[in-house]
Amino acid sequence: MGTGTNFERRTILKAAGATAATLGLATTTACGGDGGTSSDGTVTIRYAWWGAEDRAQRINETIALFEKKYPKIKVKTDFQPYTDFWKKFNTQASGGNPPDVFQNAIAFLRKYDSKNVLLDLKEQVDAGNLSMDGFRAGLDTFGEIDGKLLGVPVGSNSMALVIDKPVYTRAGVTPEQGWTWDDFDAAMKRIRDRTGRAGDTGPYNVMYLYDLYLRQNGKAFFTEDGLGFTEADLTDWWTKAKRAVEDGLYADVKKIGQIRPKSAVTGELSGGEFTWDNFTIRYTSEGTSEYGLAPIPTTDGKRTGQYLGSLMLSASRRTEHPKEVAQFIDFMVHDPEVAKIMGYDRGVPATQAQYDAFKPTDEVNKAIAAYEESLVEAGVLEPITPHPNGADICEAAFLRIGEEVGLGSRSVDDAVKQFFNESETALVA
Amino acid sequence: MGTPVTHAPAMEGLSKDSEPRHGPVKPVRPAALKRRRRQENLAGYLFMSPWIAGFLLLTAGPMIASLYFAFTDYNLFDSPQWIGFDNFSEMFGDPRWRHSVQVTMWYVAVGTPLKLLAALGVALLLAQNRRGQAFYRAAFYAPSLIGASVSIAIVWRAIFSDDAIVDRTQQFFGIEVGGWTGDPELIIYSLVALTVWQFGAPMVIFLAGLKQVPRELYEAAEVDGAGKLRRFWNITLPMISPVLFFNVLLETIHSFQIFSSAYIVGGGAGGNACGPADGSMVYTCYLYVQGFENSRMGLASAMAWMLLVAVALVTAVLFWSQKHWVHYEEGA
Repeated sequence: MGTGTNFERRTILKAAGATAATLGLATTTACGGDGGTSSDGTVTIRYAWWGAEDRAQRINETIALFEKKYPKIKVKTDFQPYTDFWKKFNTQASGGNPPDVFQNAIAFLRKYDSKNVLLDLKEQVDAGNLSMDGFRAGLDTFGEIDGKLLGVPVGSNSMALVIDKPVYTRAGVTPEQGWTWDDFDAAMKRIRDRTGRAGDTGPYNVMYLYDLYLRQNGKAFFTEDGLGFTEADLTDWWTKAKRAVEDGLYADVKKIGQIRPKSAVTGELSGGEFTWDNFTIRYTSEGTSEYGLAPIPTTDGKRTGQYLGSLMLSASRRTEHPKEVAQFIDFMVHDPEVAKIMGYDRGVPATQAQYDAFKPTDEVNKAIAAYEESLVEAGVLEPITPHPNGADICEAAFLRIGEEVGLGSRSVDDAVKQFFNESETALVA
Repeated sequence: MGTPVTHAPAMEGLSKDSEPRHGPVKPVRPAALKRRRRQENLAGYLFMSPWIAGFLLLTAGPMIASLYFAFTDYNLFDSPQWIGFDNFSEMFGDPRWRHSVQVTMWYVAVGTPLKLLAALGVALLLAQNRRGQAFYRAAFYAPSLIGASVSIAIVWRAIFSDDAIVDRTQQFFGIEVGGWTGDPELIIYSLVALTVWQFGAPMVIFLAGLKQVPRELYEAAEVDGAGKLRRFWNITLPMISPVLFFNVLLETIHSFQIFSSAYIVGGGAGGNACGPADGSMVYTCYLYVQGFENSRMGLASAMAWMLLVAVALVTAVLFWSQKHWVHYEEGA
């Protein structure tokens, strides 16, 4: 019996040992995941952005350049489409594990600042790791909130009407700066009648476009802390849109949903849509037609309500490598070679050095440069609308509920109420 | 079956005093025996420890935490604020929540019976001994193995889209309703179709049940002149009712929990993940939206507990209903 007991004990010890080893292994693996400093001093930083495949290819090329210049810094990448990106980011950030550096937009600055996710890059500027010199007109302060530098602009962009050029040509429509919404409506009819395609994907649930429309009328989508328009405003906007969808002027919403993540323009469901001017680059790689830029229709023949926006690079407050992250951002916004690779994919480069480095030779990039120049010449650019904490949820609700109006599954009155309810909850929280 | 009971006390008495099955009997002191028992128990617990640790850390812990969060306003970033039953009252007042309940009930009420009908029907066919029966059984079972996967959901979305195979087939028969995934009303049926397609799992269980039904009963009924339908109704159905009950229970609970396939069929990348006009927004989808898109973890936790309570209630009702329709063989 004595031996039996020993045997048992040994078995138990073995089992315990195995368990401990397994747990130990798991811990080691877990440790390998973060920190990101290896024994030879190489630092790994995580970089995440939203976009499509073509952007990913460009970014990977720029990262290769960066790693060549900074051999001690390795960059791990991750990307998703816009909405999926923010879901993932939100989950990572709440778990205390956001990427060290990531693409950011104006609608998310206040939100993540209030949640202490964003690193104030001022310190890194003072330490000389990041230069905020050489930015084009006013862009150096674009990512500043309450005196904190929370995002560094990578390129300026502006809302535009992105069009399928051959479709517009066939319909005989040539939009000009200062054209009105009435002109736009007439154009939609012509496109539908002459090409058999819906004139537009549908402007009615694009928050950034409705903002411009409101600005043309002395209002805005947001004030500093709430919505800047009334239920009556939105009722008018959506009532008009509903009719246009029914008349086939705007694309069939059922079809739009089914071809995602492809856009309705490249999916040949519509002749154009309101989005950011740099999207022509994505559409060109996504679709088979030729895509161009047209001016935003106006209410009074002059004001478009446009402003220069910009994507930004932000850093996580929890990063263990603020210096390396700052060096990375600095490289990405100042290095001329980066500009040559990226082109206007994320807007017209924010720094003068990069702006000068990339002289577009292809039609698509040339058109973007010309478009932004035309906005400056026409003198239509105004200060940006504030984006309070919760703006991102309002944007998503506007998109979704607007879509329900387009589908006809919700009455306009009901939709307006639902949107105001959801927005008020989001903006208070 | 009742007889062995009489032996029990005797055996108990034996094992208490000595170990008759082991060779030369050494007197064992009770203390040593106790120690050995303890060691054996310890070994048992040690072997179970990975599971126990997993259960406590990954299931019990988070469940208790979520019960607490259900009564708080918690956005994942700031510390949770106790708000009592506010999450629950908000839930009931939210039309989107009520819509998700409706969609889920519809899905469960239509999908589960259809799936079980298909399972039983095919099981009846396969219960007869035929050539290639094993092949058919495997073939019908295969969808259950892969049906819940992401890739199948993507395929499903593709075949139910505009101008895809389902739409083309409809058009051939003159039905012009378009693809199902783009239609707020129809998209839920593509999910129903997906679950029905996976009838293989309950089918296998039905098959096992059918094989247990004694042949003599059918023979006797046949002699008495009972027709096929009558034999099914009066013999097969009562005899397999425990199996039927098991399947109904399992599939109902399972249906309530549908998430990944609904999320993918309804959304695809980059869009509203709940289908056009929330057409495929089953309960767990909305739970996900509130928790992870809107960062309202407190509300999402409350929703999760609400779902648990609902499933528990339905289960209780099913168990209660047993006495009216489930027949357990006497003495078994």
